[in-house]
Amino acid sequence: MDNTTHIEYQDFPPCQMACPILTDAREYVQFIAERRFEEAFASIRKLNPLPRVCGRICMHPCEIACKRGQIEEPISIAALKRFAADGPWADHYKVALPGKSTGYKVAVVGSGPAGLAAAHDLALLGHHVTIFEALPVLGGMLRTGIPAYRLPKDVLDEQIQTILDLGVEVKTGVLIGEDIKLSNLFEHGYKAVFVAIGAHEDRKLGIAGEDEIEGVVSAVSFLRQVNQGENPEIGKKVAVIGGGNTAIDSARATLRLCADAVYIVYRRSRKEMPAEEEEIEEAAHEGIQLFYLTSPLEIIGQDGKVSALKCIKNELGEPDASGRRSPKHVPGSEFAIDVDMVIAAIGQVPDSSLLADELELTERGNRIHLNVPNTLATTLAGVFAGGDAVTGSATAIEAIAAGKKVAISIDCYLREESPPTASRTEVVETKKLPSGVVEKTQKFARCHNISLPIDERLKGFDEVKSVFSEDLAVQEALRCLHCGIGASVSTERCISCLNCVQVCPVGAPATTKMGEINIDRFLCQACGICALECPVQAIDIGLHPRGELGQQIKKAVSMSEDTAVVGFFDYQGSFGPDDVSSLKKQYPGIAPIMVFGLRRVDTSDVLNAFEAGADAVLLAGCPSAREPFAAASSGVTQRMAQAKAVLDVLGLDGRRLQIFDMPERGLVDEEHLTEFMHTIADLGPNPLR
Amino acid sequence: MIIVEPKSFEEIEQMTKGCGRLLVLGCETCSAMCFAGGQRQVAEIASSIRMSKKMSQDQTEVLDDTVARQCELEFLDHVKDKVAACNTVLSLSCGAGVQTMAKMFPDRRILPAVNTKFIGRATKRGEWMEMCMACGDCILERTAGICPVTRCAKGLLNGPCGGATGGICEVSKDQPCVWQEIYHALKRLNMLHYLKQKPQVKDWPVHPDKVVRKDLREVGAT
Amino acid sequence: MSFRESLESGKFLVTAEVGPGKGTDVEHLLKDADIIKNRVDAVNVTDLQSSVMRLGSMAFSHLLTDMGIEPIFQMTGRDRNRLALQSDLLSAWVLGIRNVLALTGDHPTMGDHPHAKPVFDLDSVSLLEMINKLNSGYDMAGNELKGVPEFLPGAVVNPGADNEAALDLQIMKMEKKIEAGAKFFQTQAVYDIDLFEKFIKRVEGFKVPIIGGVILLKSAGMARFMNKNVAGVLVPTPLIKEMTDTKDKVKKSVEIAARIVKRLKNLCQGVHIMALGWEKTIPAVLDQADI
Ligand SMILES: Cc1cc2nc3c(=O)[nH]c(=O)nc-3n(C[C@H](O)[C@H](O)[C@H](O)COP(=O)(O)OP(=O)(O)OC[C@H]3O[C@@H](n4cnc5c(N)ncnc54)[C@H](O)[C@@H]3O)c2cc1C
Ligand code: SF4
Ligand code: SF4
Ligand code: SF4
Repeated sequence: MDNTTHIEYQDFPPCQMACPILTDAREYVQFIAERRFEEAFASIRKLNPLPRVCGRICMHPCEIACKRGQIEEPISIAALKRFAADGPWADHYKVALPGKSTGYKVAVVGSGPAGLAAAHDLALLGHHVTIFEALPVLGGMLRTGIPAYRLPKDVLDEQIQTILDLGVEVKTGVLIGEDIKLSNLFEHGYKAVFVAIGAHEDRKLGIAGEDEIEGVVSAVSFLRQVNQGENPEIGKKVAVIGGGNTAIDSARATLRLCADAVYIVYRRSRKEMPAEEEEIEEAAHEGIQLFYLTSPLEIIGQDGKVSALKCIKNELGEPDASGRRSPKHVPGSEFAIDVDMVIAAIGQVPDSSLLADELELTERGNRIHLNVPNTLATTLAGVFAGGDAVTGSATAIEAIAAGKKVAISIDCYLREESPPTASRTEVVETKKLPSGVVEKTQKFARCHNISLPIDERLKGFDEVKSVFSEDLAVQEALRCLHCGIGASVSTERCISCLNCVQVCPVGAPATTKMGEINIDRFLCQACGICALECPVQAIDIGLHPRGELGQQIKKAVSMSEDTAVVGFFDYQGSFGPDDVSSLKKQYPGIAPIMVFGLRRVDTSDVLNAFEAGADAVLLAGCPSAREPFAAASSGVTQRMAQAKAVLDVLGLDGRRLQIFDMPERGLVDEEHLTEFMHTIADLGPNPLR
Repeated sequence: MIIVEPKSFEEIEQMTKGCGRLLVLGCETCSAMCFAGGQRQVAEIASSIRMSKKMSQDQTEVLDDTVARQCELEFLDHVKDKVAACNTVLSLSCGAGVQTMAKMFPDRRILPAVNTKFIGRATKRGEWMEMCMACGDCILERTAGICPVTRCAKGLLNGPCGGATGGICEVSKDQPCVWQEIYHALKRLNMLHYLKQKPQVKDWPVHPDKVVRKDLREVGAT
Repeated sequence: MSFRESLESGKFLVTAEVGPGKGTDVEHLLKDADIIKNRVDAVNVTDLQSSVMRLGSMAFSHLLTDMGIEPIFQMTGRDRNRLALQSDLLSAWVLGIRNVLALTGDHPTMGDHPHAKPVFDLDSVSLLEMINKLNSGYDMAGNELKGVPEFLPGAVVNPGADNEAALDLQIMKMEKKIEAGAKFFQTQAVYDIDLFEKFIKRVEGFKVPIIGGVILLKSAGMARFMNKNVAGVLVPTPLIKEMTDTKDKVKKSVEIAARIVKRLKNLCQGVHIMALGWEKTIPAVLDQADI
């Protein structure tokens, strides 16, 4: 049997495709938009054992890929993850329990995200996992690298605890390679080993003065001290060299440890800086001065201590093999920065020397060489490796992905099965949206969570960013463009009438020469307009298929006892759970049905409601400023006018059907609603009941 | 295609009063394309009639279905059981479909739910224009692909009547004089001399018209 | 001299027009005809003018022959198919009618029975062809006639087309009509003589007599109405002003008409005066125009 599953780009929205563990961002963002927070959390948690961590520090490749990014700014996918994972509903989530014990013991070396994710998934598969960690604490770089103002220690503790709760054993203070050799682990009964020792050795700056002068430190060891509360000695003026997260974190940490001035020296321009955009902004915001296009030349000492950093300006040359433009010194542009401390943060390599006698390493960078990259197997039978130890310093989510992948490989290895090989179309960039589509799509600004004021921040290591409020989260989630979950055509039903081609606001449906309709799943934004205009109901929308609506209507009418009013409310309005519950309390007769735009409600839906016995139907649409498709609403009025006309002819009275504009805040304007309810009362019950 | 227009619900309601068990039958070719006979319209009309029946204490059922084209006996075959189970069929198809139904089901009342208008095309959303009268003797080669038989109010074949003002037809005040359009088109094609061709007298078809193709192979022949 | 003889003689012709009304009353029409009897070469009888249902053209034409007036029997393709048209022509001949003006006809929507089914089986050109065919002793289907008419077929042309395409089309159609047998043309009302002169220059070569149309301008309002609603008619502003300024409308109207007739004398081979009920004034117009 061929186990190869090939994942095509088309199968996933850009956000999901970009995620190393294929998190279905679209799904949970959608759940949040629908205020189904617990389901949002479940959607995340089923794949990711560290959601609260990722919600805070993930480098979110999903956001870089997000189609919304081409309209104005990407969806705040990571912040929404944090929202979903931090909320009280997360406690209701029933965590998966370990599977039936297999009796196999597996050793995981290193407790960073790779090790933790592997331990989690292996435990669920029924294996007995022991984590060996050299340090006295767990979490790897999550704990010793990333400062608490970005990832509070209690959050990390809580996340690790959920994993340990699965029965994962921990042996801290054990340095594998020294205390126990890898091969010895097998003698201790372990059947497989996962090596995830990370990359903890800072690369040397390679400039004069680095080794001899006091006051030059490596970022990793500096941050480790900071994060373990060891209050390392700090200069008054500090230069951090490098452009990644480590550099920014070192700089921001020194600032919090009361340095007077902190500089970051980076050899390329801001555009090339690998650190997260927002982090760079925050750093500048906090008062850190950034020297771009600047390389350190020499550390100048006085009395054996750092007194200045001699630098030179660069300009960018031709793009190198990696596509990045390599910096070139500008002759004569040397200058010096007055500093008394230099932190080297130009990248880390694995500290794999202890394992060198047992595992093959890469020629450059001391990384662990994989024998079978697809299964993460090393040259030593039964030993697998992943995370930073294999890739060099990368990201937490990539480490988690490695951990998850290795769990499957090890499981197969232990069961002596061949591992599934999933090949994946590497999509580097999301397809480009045609400019017409960008133009026609309404712009909605990205929501930002409130940050701690600067003076509050600099007092210590309190978390800088807050979590989204429910309303803000919903508002942000509503920006999602529903990539790939929009319209699809049943070729069997389609009669090539071309209506969909004409009505689609973004030009997603196209016709072939022979009249077949193809709806471009990338362009489609699931507005549902075409589905209503298709005369033969050949189109359905993946996001809330029409069948669901029909059922909801029947249920809504059947559940009410006295007056039955079916109320269609637009998710895109701005209302909160209170608004919904107070409406329910005040008007128990109104059965609310939430829809993505009134444009999703058809004449026949309304007629069906009356047929089922509804006394009235009300539709409340969001203010047009929030409507993602400018042209979309007018059809609603026309369709409802048609339904009203039928009601009039039937003697049921068209006044039983009404469209409301949602107010700025809330579900429906009180005054108008009262008036409407009076009218209905005057008209009496639907004689069809 | 054949352009049809839905009848008002008032008219349909009148027509279906006391019709007994009813089948609302859509036609998913031309009629559906005109937004008058597809599954979507079937759903709307069926629901409306069901309500109407309930209102007048009429207990009879309303069924619905659609076929690809009601003008083909083969497609109608698929709904014959449903038709048999009903007293009346409300057909959402053009006149040809309604009549094919009537032929296929001589014991059932077949009611039209649409008005059949003409042969035409959609000029823009929700607007259709008559293009061809099916005169049976096409002259478009002489008129630069613009049909005066259909689009000249008087169907003139030898040039305009002289009543156009400002290029607008004296009869259809929202239409250009089609002869002036033909003139411009022929001029563009350098074919104005076509207008001077021998005067035409049209041989009109005999209704009901019939097309018999002798050149086609007979079914079963080898 | 019969109308045909006058036409062939090249003399300046005068024709007028009467339109039967709704109903059987023909008294005053006959009276009007009598007034102009001696001043005109022939009188056109309209065929359900403006698509309004009226007394038929054939019957009234016949009444005129009885009075010794030569009628020009107007026939449109609006209401009859080729069977009826041919049959009516044979009938007309036996009733003494000799001249036929072949027209396409207004559309029924213009008249008082807008939902009447328009026929237009034949248009003006094919109507002329058909008349020719009858004259040659055969019907349209090629069957031989027993007893053959000898109609003088005429046609109309609208010289005042408002754009180049329309004018080109008119002239092309005129040629077609000539080819189909038209022996004379009567035109739509002429007010702008310069424009008419240009038209005449373009059709000079056709060598078919043209009888210029003159409609009595009864008021300024009528002028404005025609400018707006009657294709090819353009009453110049100074004329309208003359009508507004005058106290005696009838006198002015006659004066203007006479002026036009005078000028047309040098441009074409006759005038066709459409008095629209003011038939009584025709003699005065002709007097003033020295005819
Ligand atoms: C300052 C800093 C900031 C960062 N910020 C981000 C960020 O914002 N977002 C992001 O996605 N990524 C960030 N990263 C990178 C991210 O933390 C790493 O990519 C990720 O932690 C790698 O995970 P890992 O499990 O492979 O290794 P690690 O997290 O490094 O864990 C390795 C563990 O193995 C232990 N170990 C090492 N050798 C041995 C041995 N011989 N025996 C036993 N135990 C051993 C180590 O003590 C450590 O606990 C940051 C990194 C740093 C340094
Ligand atoms: S718009 Fe929504 S579905 Fe599309 S990439 Fe962004 S988050 Fe994912
Ligand atoms: S759902 Fe909306 S965006 Fe998608 S194809 Fe249909 S009309 Fe276009
Ligand atoms: S609207 Fe429906 S039937 Fe028409 S082309 Fe599109 S999918 Fe096909």
